[in-house]
This record gives sequence, structure tokens and C-alpha cells, in this order.
Amino acid sequence: MQNNSTHKIYSGKMSNETFINLFMVVVLAVLFIGASLVVPNFFSMKIVVNLITNYWFVILIGIGVTFLLTTGHFDMSVGGIIAMTGVLSVYFCQSSTGSMPLSTGLGLPYGVAIVLALLCAVGIGAVNAFFIAKLKVASIIITLGTMSLARGIAQIVTLGAQRNTSLPEIYGVIGNASIPGTVVKVSVLIMAAFVILAAFVEKKTVFGRRTYLIGANPQAAKLSGVKVSKHVAILYLISALLAGVTGLLLASEYKAGLSNRATGYEFDALVITLLGGTSILGGFGSVVGTVIGALILCVVTSAATGLLLSPDMQFIIKGIVTFLAILAQRMALEKRKG
Amino acid sequence: MSDNVLEIRNLVKDYPGVRAVNDVSFDIKRNTVHCLVGENGAGKSTLIKILTGAVERTSGVVLLNGKPYCTSSPKEAKEKGISTLFQELNVVDQLTVEENLTLGVEDTLFGFLRKTNKIVKIVEVLRSLEPSIDPHQSVSMLSVAQKQIVEIAKAVASDADIIIMDEPTAAISEAEITKLFQIIKGLREKNVTVIYISHRLDEIFTLGDYVTVMRDGKHIETKPISDIKDRSELCRLMIGKTVFECYASPQDVSSETILEVNNLTNHKLKNISFKVNKGEIAGFYGLVGAGKTELAQAIYGIEPYEGEILFNGAKLIPSPSKAIEAGIALVPEERRSQGLFTILTIRTNVPVMNMKKISRSGIINSAKERIVAQEYVDKLNIGTNGTEKEVSKLSGGNQQKVVFSKCLFADADLLMLDEPTRGIDVGAKSEIYSIIRQLSQEGKSIMIFSSELPEIMNMCDYIYLLYDGKMKASLKNNCDINSEMIIRIVTGGE
Repeated sequence: MQNNSTHKIYSGKMSNETFINLFMVVVLAVLFIGASLVVPNFFSMKIVVNLITNYWFVILIGIGVTFLLTTGHFDMSVGGIIAMTGVLSVYFCQSSTGSMPLSTGLGLPYGVAIVLALLCAVGIGAVNAFFIAKLKVASIIITLGTMSLARGIAQIVTLGAQRNTSLPEIYGVIGNASIPGTVVKVSVLIMAAFVILAAFVEKKTVFGRRTYLIGANPQAAKLSGVKVSKHVAILYLISALLAGVTGLLLASEYKAGLSNRATGYEFDALVITLLGGTSILGGFGSVVGTVIGALILCVVTSAATGLLLSPDMQFIIKGIVTFLAILAQRMALEKRKG
Repeated sequence: MSDNVLEIRNLVKDYPGVRAVNDVSFDIKRNTVHCLVGENGAGKSTLIKILTGAVERTSGVVLLNGKPYCTSSPKEAKEKGISTLFQELNVVDQLTVEENLTLGVEDTLFGFLRKTNKIVKIVEVLRSLEPSIDPHQSVSMLSVAQKQIVEIAKAVASDADIIIMDEPTAAISEAEITKLFQIIKGLREKNVTVIYISHRLDEIFTLGDYVTVMRDGKHIETKPISDIKDRSELCRLMIGKTVFECYASPQDVSSETILEVNNLTNHKLKNISFKVNKGEIAGFYGLVGAGKTELAQAIYGIEPYEGEILFNGAKLIPSPSKAIEAGIALVPEERRSQGLFTILTIRTNVPVMNMKKISRSGIINSAKERIVAQEYVDKLNIGTNGTEKEVSKLSGGNQQKVVFSKCLFADADLLMLDEPTRGIDVGAKSEIYSIIRQLSQEGKSIMIFSSELPEIMNMCDYIYLLYDGKMKASLKNNCDINSEMIIRIVTGGE
């Protein structure tokens, strides 16, 4: 059973993560080909590009959600944070001499407004961190609470509607800018940059490794010298910051802060993370998988729209896709074990 | 009906690499208190788990009242007549005593509860056992011992033939123990046999009618308590004629102190003080509940404490990460839940306690990581076909070697080993012993916390004996050391 003479690195079998990622790529390909055959006019380059570009915001918040889920924690507050950050950044920026309540803001310079809004987003993350990392309360409960809290702030500041007047020109620039000569938005570029950074952190850094260790066995992680509470707290701050950035970009794109923006995005982010193979039990997952998960969800919902199904069907489709993805993963991994 | 309520014949339970119960046969006489004793790992718990349906036997026969008995769950065992008083009591604190007694056996009419004769009968059983417990009282108001009595009453009322009691006195006071013993002795009139497990030998002499001794998974002896002369005879049966390869500690052990513990006290430990020198192997021996794990965890900064712990002359800040930084590493008692990341690979597990060695500015050097993991696989002879294997797929002994690799990679000066060879096969055991010896020769200090006496006697320079959270004795290991005296001390004798 032992062979010390050969210093061979075990490489005959790919890791479970590679396996799941490849498996989901195959699922994506099959769905895409299927949709191209069945749905009229589905297959075109424009669709392929749209798939990614129209979904950048869910992937961006999905990064934080993936890291947290890998440690065994949920973050359902990201949708609320998007709305809150968008609304607050508008409010901070709006001129202070407007005629109506909703067109009057604080009149702060653009840069200051952005930074303050992001600080507020991180503040929500800090509430999550305090209750979950320090007081060890179940993450799903707390982040549902902060979801409500953040959206509540957005509601109050917009009186339940939206703020979209008396904004400086510069406010709408970044969200509407595209890479010169293409239709690709700067937001997509920012998302891509964060994905690459996150994939690097996840696989190549001590920080990323600790994320897996905590998810795999929090008690052993603690006994091995990992500062578990601190690490989880930092992840909640990062997740809130990413949601804040997303909120700013979306508000800039529409030059408006909507109180009901991003409703249900926390669920979409969770769905694509699960579709991408991240284990709900922690210790297993990847950002690349989450991107693949986002593409799968995109293909399915666009195909449904292409088949002229009512948009109201989208929720049911998302639900079914979630269940199928989890069943497929379970079966694939079971088979692999046996 | 036969004289024996339970007959066990050729019972075997195999775990991977270990035979936990090895061809055990004995009888339990009806309406007696039958004590089951043995060191840790003797096979008592596994035997009990087979009777309660928590584990499945590999082979063998059990006859209950002369009929073949087999169960797959504690609930089924109870229906067939074997109830168990677990250490974790099975009562619902929010309900009253009466509601607890009738939980799961209520009579209903259209879904509403009815107060029937059955309930009256059950409450009557409790009254006959212990009249001072009011049936309408909330269970949360009762002491641990009173809760035990409620559970016993419930078992008696359900016509149990046998009640298994696993260390029932571990968490109750002296006065309550006396009360509990009266009740246990009264159970024979109610046609109930008791299987009583305890590490406290004097309890066995007070309470038992018969005693069965187990050792290394085998049945050693079953006889009436009256046939056993005294505590030391029972001790001898428990440890057997274990041959201790006489271990005399080397004379040239350094006198430089590495760890100094002064008046350590917490919820479990009482005023513990000792010193460990450089290159020394110190053994901490005691039975379950003596405080070994708590001591290791206090030093490692997991359990709070009062008192002072000095490491290399400096006060130790209580936190695992600080302890590791200072140069202490712990091999925890439960390797799967506390020591390892079983869903991750060997490569990922080995470096976790000292990531600095394989990274620079927070970025992992993957090539170095693979080399390091392979190095430890070779050095500790870990049985695997590569470093990319998940730790869950290794055998117990090889898993333990991965835990050791983690701690060695941390470059600790002091290694604390909590039950380092629990549940691993003989071959892996002796490999682990030679690793420990080698570490000590390299000048590392080692503390072994173990409930296996041979392990302590064969390995350690100094032996500290713990009983009930107190340090009862410290001995220098040499050829004249008296194992019976040690057993007497750790079972509470003088």
C-alpha cells in the first residue's frame, strides 16, 4: 500500500471542484444548444453577449455570497443593500435647494457622496458581522433582518418611491459608460475584474484557504489557529461592500435611486451560487462555478422569454432550476463517491 | 422462565482496523444489579450500543428472556424491554413531570388528551419510587438526580426488563447518589434488572450483585461481587497482566522549564500546578471526567480559567492562535471533529497551522505546499496514494498521522497530545509512539493526556494522576512504579 520510492504527485483523478465545474459547463452547453434548437431566434452572438452583460450585477453580489456560503454562512441582505446604497448616493448628491422633498438632497460633492454611501453599505455588513460572527446567531435570520433594515432605509429616504432629479451630470457617467468601440459596459468590466480577483484570492491566497477551512470544519479551524470570527466578519464587510458597489453602478445607470431596486436579487445570487456547485454545508465552492451558474440561469430565463412565456413564469422557472441543479449535483457527486 | 434475563453469546463488533467487541459471552441474572467495568476502549460502550441499537453487531447472538433479541434503534429497544438512562437525559424541561412520564404513550380521543388509568398507573410508579416529586411540577425545576428518577419511573412503567445506566452518578451530588442507589436497589422488587456502568469502583461494591469485567474488547470475568476480595483485585482484572516494558527516563533530561502552570482553576479543574521541562514527556492519567481534556484545553486557551500559565517564562494569552504562535500545538481528543478538515485533501490539511511557511505576503506557494505535504506523507509513513486524497478516505491511524503532521509543521516546542492513539490499530499505535519518542529526542516537550495506562507507563518520564479535576499525585516513572497504586488513586482511593 506504501510506495516511498516514487515521489509521484497524485494526479490520476481531477478534484471534485473541477468535476462539478465541468459538469455544470456541460449542463450549460446542453441547455444552450437545446434552447437554440427550440426557441426561435435564440442563437445569435447578440444573445451570447447579452447573457453576460445583462447579468453582471447578480454575479458581482454572487462573489460575496459565494465566499460566505463556502464558510457555511448566508447573506440575504445584498439586495436590500443595493437599493439602500443607490438611494443614499442619490440623496447625498442631489442639490440641497430643490423645490420638492424628493428632489432635495444634501448637495454633497459626487466623490464624498459615493464614499459615504459605500460606508453605509459596509455599516449594514458590520451589523451582520456583529450578530453572526460575534454573537453566533444563525446567519439566515440576521441577514433577513438587515435585508429589511436596508430596504427600509431606502423606503424612508425615497418616501417609498424614487429620487431621480437635481442630480449632477457626473452621477450618470460610470453606469452608462462602455468600453470605447464596443457595447460592453464599464460595469461588466468591473464585474469581470472582481471575478478574476476573487478567483485568485480564493485559490492562491492564505485568506482564500482559510475560507475553505472554516467551511470544512469551523472547530478544527479554530483549534488550528484560524481566527474564525474575524474572518467571517471580514467576509460580511466585503459582501456588503460589493453590494454597495453594485448599488452605485445600477443607480448611476438609471440616474435614479429606487426603493424597490434589486428586489429578489439576494435569492438570484444564492441560486447562481448553488448552481455553481457551492455546498450549502460549507467547505466547497468556487467563484468560477458561480459565474457558470449565472449563465445557466440566464439561458433558462431568456429561453423562457423567447418561448413567449409570461415574465410572471420566471419565478417558477428559477425555483425549478434550483431544485434540478441541486439534484443533478447531488447525483453526480454520489456517483463519483461510489 | 429462565433464570437469566439476558444471554450474550459470541458477540463480535468490528470497526475498520479494530475489533471493538471480541467474542463476548456472558449471562445477566434476572432482577439483579449487574455492573460492567473496564478501562476506556475495553468495549463496554460498544456492547451497550449494540444492546440499545445504536450500532449493529458484526456477529453473535443476544437472547432476551430466552428469545433472540435484535434492535435497530433505542426506541425499538425500549419497546422490546431494554431502556437506557443516557448521560444526556431524555426529558423535556418545559413540560411537567406528569407530561414527561406520559410523553409518547398518551391516550387520545379525537386528538384530545384523556386522563386514563394508564396515566394514573404511571404516576403511581413514580410515587412509589420517590414520593417527594410532585407530578405537576415543571421538570426544569428538578435536579439532575430527580430527572433521572423520572426517567427510571418511565422505564419501569413501560414494563422494562432491563434498564441500562451509563455513569449515572457523573453529574450528581453525594447526597443524591445515596438516594439514587436506594431507588436502584428497590428496582428488583419491581422486576427490573439493572446494567450499571461506572468508573467509580466503590460504587460497584456498594451497589452491584454481579460484575462483568471487559478488557481490550474481550470478556474477562463475570462473578458475584461477594466473590471479589477488594478494589485491587478488581483493578487487576481490569488492567490484566499487561507487560509494561519497563521504561526508565533518561538521566540527562534538561532542567530548563518550558511550561509552568500555577493554581489553575476553572469549572472542572481545581488548583492544578506543575512544571514541564524541555525534552520531557509528561503523562496525565485519569479516568473519563477526571479533567484531562479540560486541562489541555485550558492551556491551549479554549477553556477559561483562573490562575497562571507561563510558557518559556512569559504569561500565555488564552487563545489557540496565540498558543500556536508561542510554540504550542494540540492534537485534540476528537480527530475528526476537532483535528481535521476531512472533506479537504492531505495537501490542504498539513500546512494549516503554519501557513506562513508556505506563503509569502499572503500568497500561497503551491509547489512548496505540495512538496511539504509529500514530505510529511513520507516522513510519517501515511498510507495513501498521494497528497490529493481527501482525509475522510484514510483509515483512523493515517488520519491521526495527518493531525500529527499538522502539529509538527507548526514547529511547536510543546506538543499536547489528547488521547493520541484512541481508536487506531496496533500498528499505527506503535508508529505514533516512535514518532513521539523521536520528537522528545529532538528536544521537544510533550504532554500526553491519556486514559490508557500502558500508554502512559511506557512513554512518559513523569506521570501526573488526575481525579475529579484535582491533581492527586505526581510520580517519576521508573521500573518500580506500581500500577495498582495508580489505578487506586485515579478511581478515588487513597
